[in-house]
Amino acid sequence: MKEFKHFNAYSIDEAVSLLGRYGDRACVIAGGTDLLGKMKDVILPTYPEAVINIKTIPDLNYITQSDEMLKIGALTTLAEIAHSEAVRSRCLALAEAACRAASPQIRNMGTIAGNICQDLRCWYYRNQNNRFSCLRKKGGRCYAIKGDNRYHSIFGGSVSGGCMAVHPSDTAPALIALDAKIKTSSRMIDAQDFFEVKPVKTTVLKTDEIVTEIQVPAPPAGTSSTFLKFALRKSIDFPIVNCAAMITVKDGKVAGARICLNAVHVVPYRAARAEKVIIGKSLNEAVAEEAGQAAVAEAKPLEHNKYMVAVARTLVKRAILACTG
Amino acid sequence: MSKQSEIEKVRMVEMFDNLRADKYPLKEFNYVGQNGPRRVDGLAKASGQADYTMDIQLPGMLHMRFLDSPYPHAKILKMDTSKAEKLPGVRYILRYDDPELPESENLGHVPVFENDKPLDGVAHFEGQPMGAAVAADTEAIAEEALSLIKIEWEERPFNLDPVAASDPNVPLSFPERYSDGNFWNRGVLDELIHGDVKKGFAGADKVIEFKFTRTGHTWIGPERPCGVWRWNGDCAEVWLKHQRPYVGKARISSWFGGIPMSKIEMHMLYQGASFGGWTHVDWNLGGLYCAAVVSRRTKRPVKYVFTRREDFFGGSLDEAVYFVKVGFKNDGTITAVNATAYHVNCTSPVFSPVLHLHENTRIPHLRGQQKSIWVNKGPMVALRCEQLVPVLVQTMVMDRVAAELGMDPIELALKNDGGEGHDMDWLNEQKKERGFEVRDSLKECIEKGKAEFKWDESWHKPGTRKLPNGRMHGVGFTWTHEWSDSSGTGEIAIRIERSTGTATLLGIRCDNGVDAENSYCRIGADELGMRLEDVHYNPRFDPGFHPNSPDSAGSMSVNGWATRHAARILKQKILESASSPTAPTQRGSYQPAFRNTKPEDLDIKDSVIFVKSDPSRQMSLAEFVRPMATQGPLANTEIQGARQAWSEPLFAYGYHVQLGDYNPNDPRERFCRQAHFMEVEVDTETGEIFITRVVNANDVGKVINRMSCEGQQYGGSVMGMSRGKLEEVIHDPVTGVMLNGNLIDYKVATIKDVCPIGTILVETGMGYGPYGLTGIGEDIATVVPGLLAPAVYNAIGVWIDEFPITPDKVLKALGKI
Amino acid sequence: MTKESKKYVCPYCGEGFDTAEGLKEHVFKMHKGCGLPVPEGGIRLTINKSEYELKVEPNWTLYYLIHDVLGLTGSKQFCDRGACGSCTMIVDGKPVLSCMMLAIECDRKTVETVEGIAAEGHPLIGAYVKHHAMQCGYCTPGFVVTSKALLDRNPDPTEEEIIEALAGNICRCGTYPQHVIAVKETAAKLQVEKAAGKGEK
Repeated sequence: MKEFKHFNAYSIDEAVSLLGRYGDRACVIAGGTDLLGKMKDVILPTYPEAVINIKTIPDLNYITQSDEMLKIGALTTLAEIAHSEAVRSRCLALAEAACRAASPQIRNMGTIAGNICQDLRCWYYRNQNNRFSCLRKKGGRCYAIKGDNRYHSIFGGSVSGGCMAVHPSDTAPALIALDAKIKTSSRMIDAQDFFEVKPVKTTVLKTDEIVTEIQVPAPPAGTSSTFLKFALRKSIDFPIVNCAAMITVKDGKVAGARICLNAVHVVPYRAARAEKVIIGKSLNEAVAEEAGQAAVAEAKPLEHNKYMVAVARTLVKRAILACTG
Repeated sequence: MSKQSEIEKVRMVEMFDNLRADKYPLKEFNYVGQNGPRRVDGLAKASGQADYTMDIQLPGMLHMRFLDSPYPHAKILKMDTSKAEKLPGVRYILRYDDPELPESENLGHVPVFENDKPLDGVAHFEGQPMGAAVAADTEAIAEEALSLIKIEWEERPFNLDPVAASDPNVPLSFPERYSDGNFWNRGVLDELIHGDVKKGFAGADKVIEFKFTRTGHTWIGPERPCGVWRWNGDCAEVWLKHQRPYVGKARISSWFGGIPMSKIEMHMLYQGASFGGWTHVDWNLGGLYCAAVVSRRTKRPVKYVFTRREDFFGGSLDEAVYFVKVGFKNDGTITAVNATAYHVNCTSPVFSPVLHLHENTRIPHLRGQQKSIWVNKGPMVALRCEQLVPVLVQTMVMDRVAAELGMDPIELALKNDGGEGHDMDWLNEQKKERGFEVRDSLKECIEKGKAEFKWDESWHKPGTRKLPNGRMHGVGFTWTHEWSDSSGTGEIAIRIERSTGTATLLGIRCDNGVDAENSYCRIGADELGMRLEDVHYNPRFDPGFHPNSPDSAGSMSVNGWATRHAARILKQKILESASSPTAPTQRGSYQPAFRNTKPEDLDIKDSVIFVKSDPSRQMSLAEFVRPMATQGPLANTEIQGARQAWSEPLFAYGYHVQLGDYNPNDPRERFCRQAHFMEVEVDTETGEIFITRVVNANDVGKVINRMSCEGQQYGGSVMGMSRGKLEEVIHDPVTGVMLNGNLIDYKVATIKDVCPIGTILVETGMGYGPYGLTGIGEDIATVVPGLLAPAVYNAIGVWIDEFPITPDKVLKALGKI
Repeated sequence: MTKESKKYVCPYCGEGFDTAEGLKEHVFKMHKGCGLPVPEGGIRLTINKSEYELKVEPNWTLYYLIHDVLGLTGSKQFCDRGACGSCTMIVDGKPVLSCMMLAIECDRKTVETVEGIAAEGHPLIGAYVKHHAMQCGYCTPGFVVTSKALLDRNPDPTEEEIIEALAGNICRCGTYPQHVIAVKETAAKLQVEKAAGKGEK
């Protein structure tokens, strides 16, 4: 890697202050499993001048529960979340998502905040030495549109300019399905509203803002959640499609549903149409199938990723059926 | 020399003609065929002590990295390195237009192919290391310096698809080398014709035609290509990561006006995999050449390293488009096969697509055609291995015919088994003629494999068995002969160490992890009559002997013979030395250790020499050779008038020439077979394939090192599953840039992606090596990938004609997208 | 840009101040509870039970520090991108990828490499040798380290648990089946030793 300055932040204020000073010339490092890959491959036209370590901020690694809420510190690792009894019992989708992300070693290093803040994996964007100066690097176009787009968006381009990359996080759709909130150094954001893809950025975080906590509300009675991941390999791989669902059943009928797909669009994709299909109904194969169809009704696949539509449809159906058990 | 030695010599010559069965095998084996730990390399590798070229750090060493072309076809018009040179820590930048760099240098491994240019100024694939080599104090500095080099490029049109590029009207992919067009077939087996396919098709009850493609896959050796060069005066000290030490050393000795072999000190450390692949790429030694030039100019050792992305070249020869036509009778006998393959960038001989059908079967009419087309991708080489091509075609032919007839593919296999267009009766005659016990190898492999796999309960009509979990169940079968394909030579020597009386095998060899060294020790131990713990082999040491290396499927036959020759001759020498007076001088000679005996009266067992008729008369080898005196072995021959005992040097070499396999002049029939079974479950809603069981039955003739053979079976199955289901190199169609040159986007199977793997070893003794052995190292990784297609067909009732078989292809075949 | 042309520079974060008072106030506000500042790039590391005081560059990975600088070459670099597990080391008791960690962020951490595991005579090594859980050997140290970490936290793992734990380690030669056998046998051996130890008391 090229040279850079390194700072340890010992408090949230210090991190914010350093970020304020450096602006977009600095990067935050937590687990480092995303950032170091980007730096080694020199994927961007500019290289960070400073790397700010937030692992030295105390008291950001915890899982606490109350009747209303589960609170998870930003630096809690994916492994800790995957194995936490509290998380498993109250928001299984999140535990499963954390458990299926990456590899065991990376789960020991990667943090929940890092997982939702991670950058996109499009192989044009990530090609070394900034080989493709694409939309997200303030370049001219999205190279996936006419290129090999087998892992790219099935719901069209991003709002700002047509980027066809997909968001790669496993925990993001789980947090959205679980109606989580993201607490930052300056505000609270609904998980659903946290993601926004622009050049360089993948979230709504300001340059001098960091995630400090994830809050997952306690689910009402009769609620279960699930997470499914589709990838070519059973470990290490980013998702090709994943799906998280949280469904509340009352008197045999669906009273509440939150279903979220990811890796199908540039930000996690809330399958609102699918939710509408199942609300008020008893769940069975046919209803779940219909919901799956509805989830992909607005799909606009590219030349090489039509299969992702079938996979997304299937995952939605299966996630719904898994919540009835 | 005694009469016995002469006999041994005669035996050696007889064995050169290894077309025939082993006339003089051992009757008993203590170590050959047994299990045992990894006694040669295991501890070093498990404890982190094993050193690899990548680990080498020398005082003052510079790190060298190469410029990579950002374009698939481009020429450097101007290159400005001034800014890069000024970066602190940069010590030298070697330019492509340096006057000392030759236009063409002896870098390759296969003489029939062109020599290559170290550091070209024209790139013929994206990512090609070319243009400049930067040597700096650290790798990070070298890398940064590369980004400071300013280049004016002339981009040229490029090709990626072999069929399209074979059109004479498209632009040239590599005009400097292939100026007449992109089609180039030198050194590639152009055509294999047996019989008359027109006649064969005419006589068929049914004819089918199909096309299939295999996209590129590559070796992904864990240790990237690298090397170190240090000049010690005019001596070259070289750390070489290369599969063939002899080739490496021979090439190096031809450089810079010629370096005597004795002035090349070559280090062959442990190697992080060697599947052919990069070693065979002409330019593997190009990096070393550049390092040598820079080392001389900077007077510092230079280590060059290729990045993981740069290592993605040296892809496999089976990347091709295949067109196949098969004629067959209703009873399953195949009458004709015509196969044409459009290969990409062959830089190694490719075997005909119908080669295995020719070698294994009674099919009377065959025609196989290769077309090697040059496109703007990296070079393709024999990568575990070149048999991928004919094996894939055999699987597709056999299983498609079986499918057309609704016939059990095992039944079809047995029906068509034979050799060179003749049936099993003929093949059995050849076995008899050549002195082998007549065994039906395929039948034996099948019987054992079927039983373990439970084939009869598992096989069913295609697309008819749905499992309780909703997936479709399928099984597949394929077979071929168990090859041992090095038409080469090997030489090896054995020495009895003076101070310990132990045996050391001498021969520099690439340790590619198959534990072959242990196998040669077993042969040596059994042949010499020594304990295995007294027989050692350090393949890194360069004594000037070069065993065939490594071609694991082939080396065992060649090196097995060479080891045996050496061991038998050495044993004879030991017995002669033990029973004869030694060191005749004007003052008389020394009494033998075993007085009043002849060599034939003695034997060796458990490292102890003894008189056969009176075993109480014995002396261990350790005692026999005596500890070295402080001033050397021949010192103190007389102390105060009394003669000290000593022994003459006990050393012998053996060599072997491998005929009878891929020697086109006098091939020997293939008698040993292998059979493979695979079970899959297919999720028809997502297209996902789950491989749930694989069973391999390999007739290795004679097992030498049981766990090593099994290692090739499960190891090869893992690689096979990975290749069939997951692996492909992907290029952007618009820019020709490689998109997945990393281990996240290029998918190698993890431990969670593999299933239980059965390993059955059959021993019919009908192989090419001593005791009737044959190789195994290549045989499974090459066969298993193609097996996925018939297994999936059996599951869903539709053929998928593209490898790797990924979910999108399954869904398309099912009509779901 | 950090060391702005100010007279008093914070040794923790490099912010500059015009007066000593200003600096002192800043340090107490922002860096209260931190230990004494270490020289830039200075870290303390315990590697295989030995203490080290080192000066590292910010762009050094932990792998580079241990393999290239300190010469503990047992750990290997296969992908250098966190996708293969060959560089695995145990840091503060957890198996992690040293190629994706910055050395400068490892102050006061405890590191175990394959050399340390071998030096303490861990029975995993013998089991690996016995069951041929290696071929070319390049990925083997990574597997040994990951397996040892597994046995430390789960002394009696099931086959499934072993497979889950090793899911981040790639072996190109395909030795996967043997690791499960070797780890299971080692676990059994350790259980027996533990029971024997208890019995003696």
